[in-house]
Amino acid sequence: MPPPNTPEEGVTAPGTRPASPTLPRPSSPHLSSVIAYASRADSAVLELDYQAIEYIGHVDETLLCPVCRTPFHSPITTPCGHTFCAGCINRALEMQPSCPIDRQPINKTRDYHRLPLIVKDQLDRLKVKCPNNGCDHECLREHLEGHYERRCQFTLVRCPDTNCTKRVARRDSLPENGCMHRDICCQYCNEVMMVAELDAHYDHGCTGAVAVCSECDATVVRHRLEKHKSNDCPEAEARCKWQSAGCRVAKKRRIVREHERDGCLFEAIGRLLDERSEDRKIIDDLTGRLTTLEMRNRRREVRRERRNETAARPTNGSVSLDIVDLGLSEDGTLFAGSATDNGAWASPEDYMLAQFERMETQMDDLRKKMMEMDAHQSLNLLQHTARANEQLAELASKVGVLNMHTTWLMNMQRQNYAQQRSGSVAGPPNNGMPATSDDGAARAASENAVRRQEGNRRNSDGRGENPPRL
Amino acid sequence: MSAQFATKRLGKELQKIRNSRLPPGIELVSAENLEEWLLDIQVLDDNPLYQNQTYRLKFRFGSTYPIEPPEVVFVKLSDRPIPMHPHIYSNGIICLDLLGQQGWSPVQNVESVCMSLQSMLTGNSKNERPPGDDDFVRANQLRPKDIEFYYHDNTV
Ligand SMILES: [Zn+2]
Ligand SMILES: [Zn+2]
Ligand SMILES: [Zn+2]
Ligand SMILES: [Zn+2]
Ligand SMILES: [Zn+2]
Ligand SMILES: [Zn+2]
Ligand SMILES: [Zn+2]
Repeated sequence: MPPPNTPEEGVTAPGTRPASPTLPRPSSPHLSSVIAYASRADSAVLELDYQAIEYIGHVDETLLCPVCRTPFHSPITTPCGHTFCAGCINRALEMQPSCPIDRQPINKTRDYHRLPLIVKDQLDRLKVKCPNNGCDHECLREHLEGHYERRCQFTLVRCPDTNCTKRVARRDSLPENGCMHRDICCQYCNEVMMVAELDAHYDHGCTGAVAVCSECDATVVRHRLEKHKSNDCPEAEARCKWQSAGCRVAKKRRIVREHERDGCLFEAIGRLLDERSEDRKIIDDLTGRLTTLEMRNRRREVRRERRNETAARPTNGSVSLDIVDLGLSEDGTLFAGSATDNGAWASPEDYMLAQFERMETQMDDLRKKMMEMDAHQSLNLLQHTARANEQLAELASKVGVLNMHTTWLMNMQRQNYAQQRSGSVAGPPNNGMPATSDDGAARAASENAVRRQEGNRRNSDGRGENPPRL
Repeated sequence: MSAQFATKRLGKELQKIRNSRLPPGIELVSAENLEEWLLDIQVLDDNPLYQNQTYRLKFRFGSTYPIEPPEVVFVKLSDRPIPMHPHIYSNGIICLDLLGQQGWSPVQNVESVCMSLQSMLTGNSKNERPPGDDDFVRANQLRPKDIEFYYHDNTV
């Protein structure tokens, strides 16, 4: 599934239509998505490593995979109700064909269930940091893949030199740069390194022609002085990063940084504003599409009426002319492009059909967007119940694990007992934890034990894979 | 790839230990690299066999952890004896199915293994070694994982 911000075949703005005599067919992909697709295909970025992602803020324990201990990545649920990353459970099943938590047999892939969308939504909405070195982008997890694959300037892509197999950060991957892996000699200190390393070398480590910052006495490479003052210098004037939210703090950078760290009063407002502007963008986008669609629809209806009228009179030539007139009069700029294209269509019917088809896809798009927004809405409503449910499920799984452990302990005890009584110690004792628990007495006892342990068990250990403490 | 998986999982465990501490009686001694960790454990109830003693555990993690179990042994030091238990050989090798290929589960972790060992000691009342301990220790220089295999073979 493409990330939500994949450029889609959207409302084609008339200005971007190719001037060729053939109108783009409704099903042909929008130009920008073709470009995005192509650039993605040939830059061939490495797959995003979900384990390397750093999460911002608290992540609920229930969203952590018990195998890799990171928030689920394309999770599945087993028939016994346990959830794992697909990758993790597949790996585990190669060793043992049973659930890692309760040992129920699992048939790889066939037994997997998808997770409720509400959980997927929770995972999508976790805040993350871009894992690329040098990038400090933060976003929702569902947007990370799009950022990483298409926009992040630090994602490693193929070297622009086709003979080179190494990778370089996207921002350096310009054809005019050539291969970034040839050696170069620093013009300031004569050290030899790869072109790709030069930037980092200027920031740290270059000992050549240095300048001393007038504010903080730090030594920097001369041509980095400006950058140092505007971005890093602790003594230079800087503004609080929430200035757009109304914070007036503007002091030396190190004081401003402290102020930001201690919690700027405007931070909450700032974040709210950011979120709002994101939402605003989505809404604007939707409204834009809606008005265009409505306009088209109106035009289409008027045209149909016209055609019905003219169909009564068999004067064929005037039909297309009428349409052109109409389009121009209704919104001259918007429709000007297609007015000239119109002649290329074999018949007005064809044109109508094409328009109709396109409109239908757009309607579908809109409907999808609406449903997405609806889902978000209901998610907010349901989140409380979901949390309670998850806690219940968590408790249930804890009890299950406890049960397993007590059974194991009971069995060990019983074995010891049996051994003691029989007095014969045949063979080394390494077959503890037999799976048999159908002994009624043992089960009752173990249930008692579970109850007892729950009373004095340590309460903070989250997922409950820990054995009971006695 | 797989080795990275192990490293990252161990990193998470370490992070969790540093953030929220281990349960009582378990202490992390060193985890300088992500291949070998040392921990101290104590038995907290008044079992006279283990009172006032601290035991040193050595975990070794392969690149397949946590899919495959770590190798866990008791280590003998001047102030860290090997606990007396009919499943623990005097050279520190532990006979616990939880640590074997069959009993292991990838949802286990260092903390849960330590806790299992704690409760294994707590529940014991026999002041003895496994049968044939002397011979076994004298004859055996293999690594724990290999031993277990040899071991199964021998008992069939
Ligand atoms: Zn996982
Ligand atoms: Zn299960
Ligand atoms: Zn980035
Ligand atoms: Zn290159
Ligand atoms: Zn230099
Ligand atoms: Zn400075
Ligand atoms: Zn501020």
